[in-house]
Amino acid sequence: MKFISSHELIALLQNILNEQILYAPVLVGGVELYQEIEHVEDIFWNFTRPGKSVKEVVFPQTETLMVIKESDKNLTVHENISNEKTVIFGVRPCDARGMQALDSMFFHTDPIDSYYAARRNNSVLIGLSCSEMLDTCFCTSMGGMPDDPSCMDIMLTVVDDGYLVEVMSDAGANLLDGIELSDKAIDKPKPPIQSVVEVPEVENIQNIFASKLWMQEGERCLSCRICAYVCPTCRCFDIQDENLSSANGKNQSIRLRCWDSCSSHAYRQIAGGHNPREIKADRLRNRILCKLKYYAEQYGPQACTGCGRCISACPVNIDITEIMGALMEVEAI
Amino acid sequence: MSIDLLQEHANNIISSGQVDCIIGYEVGPRQWTRPAFIYEPDEVRKLVWNQNCTHNLTTYLPSKLSEEKERVAVVLKPCDAKSVNMLLAENKIVRQQVHIIGMVCNGMLDDDGGKQSRCIACSQQKPNVYDFLIGDLDTEAIDSTSLNGNKFLAEIEELLPPERAEFWIEQFDRCIRCYACRQVCPLCNCPTCLYERDDSLWVGMKTGIKEKRAFHLGRAMHLAGRCVGCNECERVCPMEIPISLLNQTLAKELQAQFDYIAGNEVLLSPIIGPTLEKEQKA
Repeated sequence: MKFISSHELIALLQNILNEQILYAPVLVGGVELYQEIEHVEDIFWNFTRPGKSVKEVVFPQTETLMVIKESDKNLTVHENISNEKTVIFGVRPCDARGMQALDSMFFHTDPIDSYYAARRNNSVLIGLSCSEMLDTCFCTSMGGMPDDPSCMDIMLTVVDDGYLVEVMSDAGANLLDGIELSDKAIDKPKPPIQSVVEVPEVENIQNIFASKLWMQEGERCLSCRICAYVCPTCRCFDIQDENLSSANGKNQSIRLRCWDSCSSHAYRQIAGGHNPREIKADRLRNRILCKLKYYAEQYGPQACTGCGRCISACPVNIDITEIMGALMEVEAI
Repeated sequence: MSIDLLQEHANNIISSGQVDCIIGYEVGPRQWTRPAFIYEPDEVRKLVWNQNCTHNLTTYLPSKLSEEKERVAVVLKPCDAKSVNMLLAENKIVRQQVHIIGMVCNGMLDDDGGKQSRCIACSQQKPNVYDFLIGDLDTEAIDSTSLNGNKFLAEIEELLPPERAEFWIEQFDRCIRCYACRQVCPLCNCPTCLYERDDSLWVGMKTGIKEKRAFHLGRAMHLAGRCVGCNECERVCPMEIPISLLNQTLAKELQAQFDYIAGNEVLLSPIIGPTLEKEQKA
């Protein structure tokens, strides 16, 4: 297989950094996060599964869609489409599959989201195989693997003194253009795999809308948004216009898009104050069924890649694998 | 054994119809301790008591009582019981509708298996308010809770104001506005949060540093004299922001200025709450 030594990889990342934006895992205040870095030395190499997914590189939590300015008697609208070349280093296979799932909605289904599409088309993913599965990881149950290269542009796997390289796309090949990769006569190490959770088939998830399960599981839910915000596939957003203060007396405003979550009470509230998802059980049911059923029916893939972040981060131990297990039992009855 | 007594008592109060629901703790399939809601006598065997019962279950009380439940029992630690006193002072719950199963507490464990720092600073074994007490009191030990026990807080207080501001800006920068701190807090119970109004009248919905600073500092001020130090906000934060330091700072200030400790009795915060009659006239 193709091989790149550790110091060659660092030189490659340095080259990227000289010309493009580079996101990589860093350690901030004790939390592993993907962030835009200024120096290769800032990379936290011993990262496991950063607290948030790489989703926010292509779908930022706060995004200015357009700037609206008043000039004389006209309004001018500047659309804020990003065309910055971006490389993400250290992407985990679950997150890459998450991005593929987002693609299904944002740019494989009309209307295409031009803001997302611009970022996605300008992004190159350098993946890194997981050397372990954490105790909440279940990618293998959702069709993934800890060393799955399929959604990457370049996939790296750690071996002695460096990394095995799999070039998966033209964008990946372009990034490596001019770099002599050596050949190493070794096989890719076997991925670490842990027990598989049973996942209900999309078409089998029926007649569970009124199940008592939702009341039981939803009762301890706090209606916070941790699960949605750490998730590689949750993609709901809210849009608002905000006025900007301006010194010259001219009106100026921005149209903002920010992440939102169906677990919050206000998400589904409608004019007049009625809320079709008034109680926590309704909201939990929506989030889980969206992941396993609704998204798959509308856009193709299931919207869960088994990264397990929501399980680790939930303050009250709401566990999607436990709920999936319970759904299997509901079906059996 | 505490668990046996807990389950026996739970069985008595649910079987006799004395309460409609018991909010306690259970252990899930991953062996993680978590909140549990008990409605039937055959469910009481799920109830546990261990050193991972860190959640403050008071946070579920007001909404559970609003579901037309006549009477709800809740399993509380000494720190959690203080938040019941605050809810009573603020007329959020009615004492007769709550049956408090007070647990004698020797401290909870953190993720690394050591005693939580807040528990090291606290030696209060017995809740200030309860209907049924479970556990053996160590009669030799003296009940005390010290606000001065946090070394990290002392270090922050030593910093010069600009350095302290820089420290906090760095912390707030990580915030993702998931609102877990607010949702888990038993005293964060405004029907519509100031920081999340649809009209963005006061604070916009961006995850900018200005918005996040406004949220955290504003939330701390709104909890001044109300926060009982259960530390749930800090525990649930996925970004590990040391939120409780803000609350502790204000708690210390209130203790120094008003000789007041939130939740020790059923008493409103001296700085947030209705004004006295003589103040209104003035």
